[in-house]
Amino acid sequence: MASKTNETPVSTDAVPWHADVPESVVDVGCRIRDVLTYSSTYLVFIAMIEVLTVHIVLSIPPNPAPIVVGLVTFAVYAGDRIADAADDEVSSPERSAFVTRHRTLLSVLTAITYGLAIALSLTGGPLALAITLLPGGFWILYASDWLPSLGSYFKRLKRVLIVNSTIVASAWAIAVVGLPLAFAEASVTPLAAVVFVYFLVDTFVNTEIPNVRDVEADEAVGVSTLPVVFGVRRTRHILYGLDLALVAFVVAALSLGILPAAAAAAILVGLGYALVLAWFVGRNAAPGRLAIAGEAKHLVVFALLLVFTTGI
Amino acid sequence: MFPPTSAAVPLLFGSVAIGVSAAILAWRARPNPGAMPLVWLLAGQSWWSTCIVFSLSAGTAAEAVFWTRVGWVGVMTVPVAWILFSLEYTGRDEYLTRRNVALLAVIPALTVALALTEEYHGLLYVREVGVTARGSVLVEQGGIWYVVAAGYTYLLAVLGIVPILGLLSSGATAFRGQSAALIVGVVTPWATNVLYNLGAFPNVGIDPTPIAFAISGVAYLGAIDRFRMFGANPAPAWRAKQFLFDHIHEGVVVVDGHDTIVEMNRAAAETLEVDVKRAVGSRGTEMLPLSEPFRTDGERELLTVGTGSASRSYDVGVSELTDRHGGTLGYVFTLHDVTRYLQQQQRLKVLNRVLRHNIRTETNIIQGYAERTSGETAETITQRTARIVEISEKGRDAIDLFEDTVNDRGGTSLVGLLERSLDDARDAFPAVEFELEYPAEDAAVSEGLSVVLNNLIENAALHNDGEDRRVTVTAELDDDRARLRVVDNGPGIDDYELDVLNSGTETPLRHASGLGLWLVKWGTEVIDGSVTFESNDPTGTVVTATVPVRRRGVPDHNA
Repeated sequence: MASKTNETPVSTDAVPWHADVPESVVDVGCRIRDVLTYSSTYLVFIAMIEVLTVHIVLSIPPNPAPIVVGLVTFAVYAGDRIADAADDEVSSPERSAFVTRHRTLLSVLTAITYGLAIALSLTGGPLALAITLLPGGFWILYASDWLPSLGSYFKRLKRVLIVNSTIVASAWAIAVVGLPLAFAEASVTPLAAVVFVYFLVDTFVNTEIPNVRDVEADEAVGVSTLPVVFGVRRTRHILYGLDLALVAFVVAALSLGILPAAAAAAILVGLGYALVLAWFVGRNAAPGRLAIAGEAKHLVVFALLLVFTTGI
Repeated sequence: MFPPTSAAVPLLFGSVAIGVSAAILAWRARPNPGAMPLVWLLAGQSWWSTCIVFSLSAGTAAEAVFWTRVGWVGVMTVPVAWILFSLEYTGRDEYLTRRNVALLAVIPALTVALALTEEYHGLLYVREVGVTARGSVLVEQGGIWYVVAAGYTYLLAVLGIVPILGLLSSGATAFRGQSAALIVGVVTPWATNVLYNLGAFPNVGIDPTPIAFAISGVAYLGAIDRFRMFGANPAPAWRAKQFLFDHIHEGVVVVDGHDTIVEMNRAAAETLEVDVKRAVGSRGTEMLPLSEPFRTDGERELLTVGTGSASRSYDVGVSELTDRHGGTLGYVFTLHDVTRYLQQQQRLKVLNRVLRHNIRTETNIIQGYAERTSGETAETITQRTARIVEISEKGRDAIDLFEDTVNDRGGTSLVGLLERSLDDARDAFPAVEFELEYPAEDAAVSEGLSVVLNNLIENAALHNDGEDRRVTVTAELDDDRARLRVVDNGPGIDDYELDVLNSGTETPLRHASGLGLWLVKWGTEVIDGSVTFESNDPTGTVVTATVPVRRRGVPDHNA
């Protein structure tokens, strides 16, 4: 999952695809799309799919982990949107306007969803609770003004190069892989470690993709990201490198017998998809869609995994 | 997975969910007063509930005891956070020093330490006492320190409620709603805890206090969301009272019924050249060397500090503080700096002497010399010196007006004043016909009115050069006001003069011809009255002066 995703509706003079669809249906569809993207609710589904992927790969029986991760995802990302609404006016004016307009509702919803997530995590025991608290705790360090309030030596970790994306990737990799294990009271196996590394690096890449679009806004507010520091071209090369390293890692895990072939195949297809996306970084006219496409890769992996493992 | 072991468990989950939600909302409300302590309070009660959930779901007795012990962190966080919240939310954050917070945390820290080390002392024991039918381990808590911790918790609960209770009578609906919700939020779990400790819930099996936190959480959520707890905050109200007391320019000294100074603001400390901390506790009569005992009947006296040209004078006012039964609690002394006023008064006295004696003496001498000669020059000198005397008398009247008004506390008879003025006018202007109409009932008015009336009558008589010269003075009483009308049939007042008068000031190029009308205007203003000028039909002026009546029915006209 990435921390920044927004898609500005693209205007075109061509006849839209939905020209023949009744206007009210189109309007409702657009509203749903706005709510899903601007509030980052679509990430909830992707996060839940990631947890289900872990369930399948690690053969963990169903438990409340996907629901908890989904609730936490909404709470943290929507909360982040609320905190950054002012800064987002430059890079994502539509999202900023949406969040500002529904600030109170979103604020209450995020609080309730995190509260529910914490309460639900109690059923998984202390470890599940700790893992559920982790994204919130990391978010406080990462994005809120709590750390700078301690003294001038500290600044929001969101502004620190690599640390910012690593924090996001770590929080989500731990939650996505750790929570199903905690609920199942399963131990950490080499396979679980491989899956953790995959999600860690993959989330890091997905976090940096939308940063390409936000270069100007990030520079303006003092946030150091790969595109801000190294430029778009070198960022693209770094993302290639990370994806290729991950390919090598997955192949190695497969060859060592740690990763099952079905899972390795699905993940490798997903990484191929990621490499194609990386090529578009800095070359695409709709960077917001690119970011969403990066997140959607997990749907592809999950679908392939289902096909490979169950033959659906 | 968590095995459901008790009917209370769903409520515990609810209390955690609501508590965490409210904590997040409170955290986002930083840095509003009370936001962070409320986060700690909600975090504490959520932790307490969480530990009970883990204790109930524990597989072994040791695990259940462990979570019960760890739960004491939340148990003891709640009361400290509550008192901090209460003080900060109601604006009493000056008490929230690091030292005070550390002192408040001593007993809670000791309690947690004793809970974690209970096997070495038994002062606060946490023991397994059995297993329920569903397999949950039952834990009992007690010991001498348990009583201390419970007592301390209840004490902080009550102390925290006191400042919030004051908001229940607030004029603002939001503050009443907030305080009511907060009181429900804190009273519910504490009442539950008291009842539990008294043995009112023998069959629950656990301390049901965290279950009541579900109600607390709803109450706090309501206070935050419905009553805008962090959108409308009463904290400034309390601080404003203290701010006004500390920063008001007047010195304020509060003395109790035993002549002990209990409070003093900065201005008073600077005036009396003392340190506030040292002055508090000393005797009021020593600090405020007044000539008489405290007088609270509105009478004032002066306090002079320093000597010579560096001395300053203060008008000392005394107000009595009473309890709700009317009994004397103490006195509030206010020290109003009147040094400049007194200096101005001294200057007026000097001017008065110069106008009263020196100018008249000098003009008399000039007139004496003029009378030794004859002709037009001598006539002109005599007329001009008479004019100088007249102007000086007007100036003296102006000074008298201000002094009389300040010193005139009792007032004078309206009828007596009218008769005196008319008698003087008849002597001064025998060719003018005067008429006087006054009310059947007399009243006390300010002595300053005489200057106003004399000048109005003089103005009406002096400038009337017709054959049938008439001046009518009418006085009426209307509730608490006296209305005087002076009507003449003269040529009327020049509009230019009235314009200058209405503008309130003069310039070198735009000024009135004399002081008479200014004395009328100043005189009515200084005694809180007003004056209007209208044209009379067919000629002349109607001047109406409206002035306050001190009291009705003065028996002695010459009082």
